[in-house]
Amino acid sequence: MRIAIEGVGVVGGFGSGLQALADSLARGPAAADVASVPAEGETLSVRSMRAVSRGLEDFVERRTLRRVDHFSRLALLAACLALREAGPQPPDPKTLGVVVATGYGASRATFGFLESFVADGDALASPTHFSTSVHNAAAANIAIILGAQGPNLTVSQFEMSVASALHSARLMLLEGQAETILFGGVDESCDVLQYCRHRFFGAEDGEVMRPLDFERQTAITGEGAAFFLLRRAAEGAPSSCWIEEVALGNLADGPPRIPEDALVILGADGNRACSRHYARALRDARPVLAFSHHYGSFPTAQAMDLAVASLLLRGVVAAVAPADEDSGLIREAACCLKMDGKGDYGLVTLRRS
Amino acid sequence: MTLKDTLKHMLVENLNLEDLTPEAIADDAPLFGEGLGLDSLDAVELVVLIQKHFGIEIRDMEEGRTAFQSVNALAAFLESRHRP
Amino acid sequence: MSTGSTVAVTGLGCLSAAGCTLPECMASLFRGVRDPQPPARFQTAHPVRYPVFEVPDRFLEDAAWRDWDILRTSRLALAAVREALGDAGLARAALRGRRVGVCVGTTVGSAMNNEEFYREYRSGGRPEMAPIERFLRSNPAAVIRRAFDLSGPCQTVVNACSSGADAVGIGRSWIRGGVCDAVLAGGADELCRVTYNGFISLMITSEVPCMPFDRDRRGLNLGEGAAMLLLEPEDAVRARGGRVRARVLGFGMACDAHHVTAPHPEGVGLRRAIGVALRMSAAERGEIAFVNAHGTGTPDNDRVESRALSDLLPGIPFLSTKGYTGHTLGAAGAIEAAFTIACLEEGRIPASAGFSVPDPDLPAHPVAAATAVRGRLALSQSLAFGGNNSVLVFGKA
Repeated sequence: MRIAIEGVGVVGGFGSGLQALADSLARGPAAADVASVPAEGETLSVRSMRAVSRGLEDFVERRTLRRVDHFSRLALLAACLALREAGPQPPDPKTLGVVVATGYGASRATFGFLESFVADGDALASPTHFSTSVHNAAAANIAIILGAQGPNLTVSQFEMSVASALHSARLMLLEGQAETILFGGVDESCDVLQYCRHRFFGAEDGEVMRPLDFERQTAITGEGAAFFLLRRAAEGAPSSCWIEEVALGNLADGPPRIPEDALVILGADGNRACSRHYARALRDARPVLAFSHHYGSFPTAQAMDLAVASLLLRGVVAAVAPADEDSGLIREAACCLKMDGKGDYGLVTLRRS
Repeated sequence: MTLKDTLKHMLVENLNLEDLTPEAIADDAPLFGEGLGLDSLDAVELVVLIQKHFGIEIRDMEEGRTAFQSVNALAAFLESRHRP
Repeated sequence: MSTGSTVAVTGLGCLSAAGCTLPECMASLFRGVRDPQPPARFQTAHPVRYPVFEVPDRFLEDAAWRDWDILRTSRLALAAVREALGDAGLARAALRGRRVGVCVGTTVGSAMNNEEFYREYRSGGRPEMAPIERFLRSNPAAVIRRAFDLSGPCQTVVNACSSGADAVGIGRSWIRGGVCDAVLAGGADELCRVTYNGFISLMITSEVPCMPFDRDRRGLNLGEGAAMLLLEPEDAVRARGGRVRARVLGFGMACDAHHVTAPHPEGVGLRRAIGVALRMSAAERGEIAFVNAHGTGTPDNDRVESRALSDLLPGIPFLSTKGYTGHTLGAAGAIEAAFTIACLEEGRIPASAGFSVPDPDLPAHPVAAATAVRGRLALSQSLAFGGNNSVLVFGKA
C-alpha cells in the first residue's frame, strides 16, 4: 500500500493553481509587495507576499462563503483546486478525511476577536469572530462545504506543523480510517504578525528572499495554502507520485536520513536562526534547492515545497534554483526538509511512480 | 432613516449579506430558516449588534427568538424596550 | 509496518478543579464535590459573573519548571506528565534510549491571543515582546519533549473540544504502527479571559454551576486542566515488569460536516464515530460498563448525545463529569479518558454532577447517584466545534 498524491492545489503570492506556481518557478519570483502596517503611532512599510482567494467562487457559491474568512478561503481554494486536479471523479465524501497543518491559525480572526472586545468592552465580543478564530476553522469549513465526514484533524506546531500533520494523515490512510484525505498547510499574514517580525528582525533585506544564503536574514512574510488529495493505493496504481516517508526528529539524535537518489529541497526561508541548522542536517555536500522566495516565509510553507517537489517529479518544471547544477534532471525522488530554530526537523520523501 | 431601514443596513453590513441590498429585505420576511437564511451563529451576533447599536440587552435566546422573526418584529421589540 | 500490538495504558496523570492528581480528582468525584466560582485570576466587565472551574495554584509547588517562562497550559501539561511517569514507575533515565512520542491536544495553548500585547500595539504603543516570545516557546508537545528530553515524534493537536481524545487516539496509532516505543498522549488547556469572553458571546455559558442532561440546563461552565496517558505496547510492558492499567481498544473519529459551532441535530458524526470505535475494539454491547459522555450542559449538545446513546447503546449507564471539572476544551477528552480508566478499575461511576431533573425531551438520562458498573469496556466521547466527534474505547486490564 502506498499513499498516492492524486491532486495538488496551491494559492500564494504567485497566484493560484499549479500553473501559476510553475510560471513563477520558470521566470523567477515577482518582487514582494509593500504593505502598510499601523504601528507605534506611525505607518510601517513592510514587504509582504500576499495571497488572494480569487477563483474560489468557481467552486463555491458566494452565499455559502458569507462567514468564511481569508484564512479558510485560502485553504478552501487550494483544496478545491487539488480536487479538480485529481480528475472528474470526486472522492466519496463519507470516507473523505480532512487534515490541516497551520502555524499561527486564523490570525486575522484571532486579532479581530480581540479587537471586538478591546474596542467595545467585554459584553460586545463578537461570537462570529470567535468561532472563526479557532485553529480548526479551515478544516471545519472544508468539511462542511465538501460534506467530508471522515476524520477531521488540525495540527499546529510552527515549522513542524506540515510534517507532523502529514505523518498523521498517512497513518490514517494506512489504517483505513479514511479512503481519501484532503491534506494541506495554510497560514495567513496579518498586521500583528508583520509587526512582530519587524520587532524581531528589523526591516526586510531587499525585495526578494535569498533562502540559500544561510548567513543572512532575508525572510519576507508570506501566506498561502497548498493542499493534496491523498489516497491509499495499491502498488502500481496510476498516480504521479506518492509519499514514501515522513520523518520527524531533532539533530541532537542524528541527522535525517535522505535517500541518495533524492533531489533535496530545503525549507530554508531566510530566517537565520533556522537556516544555520541546514548545513548541520546535510551529511554530504550535495546540490540543494530552495523555493521559498516564490511564496514567502510562513510556518507551513513546507506544504508549498511539497507542491513544487511534485511538479519537479512529474517533469512539469525543470529543477530551477539559484546555483543549481542539476537543471533539467528528472529525479526519481525528492526530499523536502524543514528545520526550525531548535534543530527539530521534518523530512518528507516523495517518489515518482 | 427609519428604524427599519437602520436595521436592514445593520443586517447587510454586519452579517456579510453581500448579495443583498437593504432595500431588498421585506419588512416581514423571515430572517431565520427561509427568507434571509440566518442561523444560530447569526442570532448571537445579532444580540451583540443590538447591544452595540441600541444599548439593549437580550439575556437569553428565548427573548431573542420572538424578536428576530422579521425586521417588523425586531423593530417592535426595540420600540417596546425603549418605552419609558 | 503495523505491529498489531495491544496498546496498554501504564501511567496516568490528571489535573482539574477536582484535584491536582488523579486520585485527588476521583476522590472529589465520588464525594460529589464541586465548587465552581467566578474567575479568580482575571476580571471581566460582564454584568453576570459566569462560574468557572480553576485548578488550584498549588500544582506549581515543587515543580522543576516553576520558574520557566512558559504559558500556564504548558505547566499543566508538564505536571500531568510528571504524575503519569511516576504512576508508571518510570524515572527519566528509563526513557533514554527509547523512542518516546508526545501527542498533546490544546486550544488556548496554541492561540496567539495575548491581550496585553494587543492592547498596547493597537493603541500605538511599543509593547514588550516577552509575551510573544513566551507564546513561541510554549507549544505544549514541544515543551514536554524538551523538558523530558524525549526523542520520538511530537504533535500538537488543535481540534477544539475533541483535541484531548484525538491525541490519545493518535498516540494509539503510533504504538500500533511501530512508530515509537511509548507515547505520552493527552491534553492541556488553561482558563483565559479571551476564551471566557468568546464562549459568553456565543450565549452558551451558564450563570449557575452547569447541569449536564438536566431539564433546566442552561449552558456550560469553562474549566482548565490537563491529563496525560502513558501508552506502551503491552508485550513491552510485561518485559520491563510494568503494570497495565487499561487498554486502548478502539478509536473512532468522524465529522458532522454541518456547522462551525452547532452539532448535527441527528448526531450523524457521533453515531459514525461510535460505530467505528466499537468495530475496532470488537466490542459486544453487553460488555460496555458505561459511557463518559461529552455532556457540556448546553441544550443542543446534551440532546444530540442522549438521542445517540439511547439509539446505539440503550440501557448502558452514562454520565458527564463536566459537572466536576467544567469544560476543559483541549484537555477534556484526555481528562475524561483518565476518569474513564479510573472508573473501570473501581467498577463504579460517580453521579453525573448537576443532574437531578430528567428532561422529558431526552430519551436517556445519566446516573443521578454513584453507581456500581459491570463490564470490561467503557467509552469516552467528545464533540467539538467544527463538527468533529471522537470516541475512545477502553478495556479493563
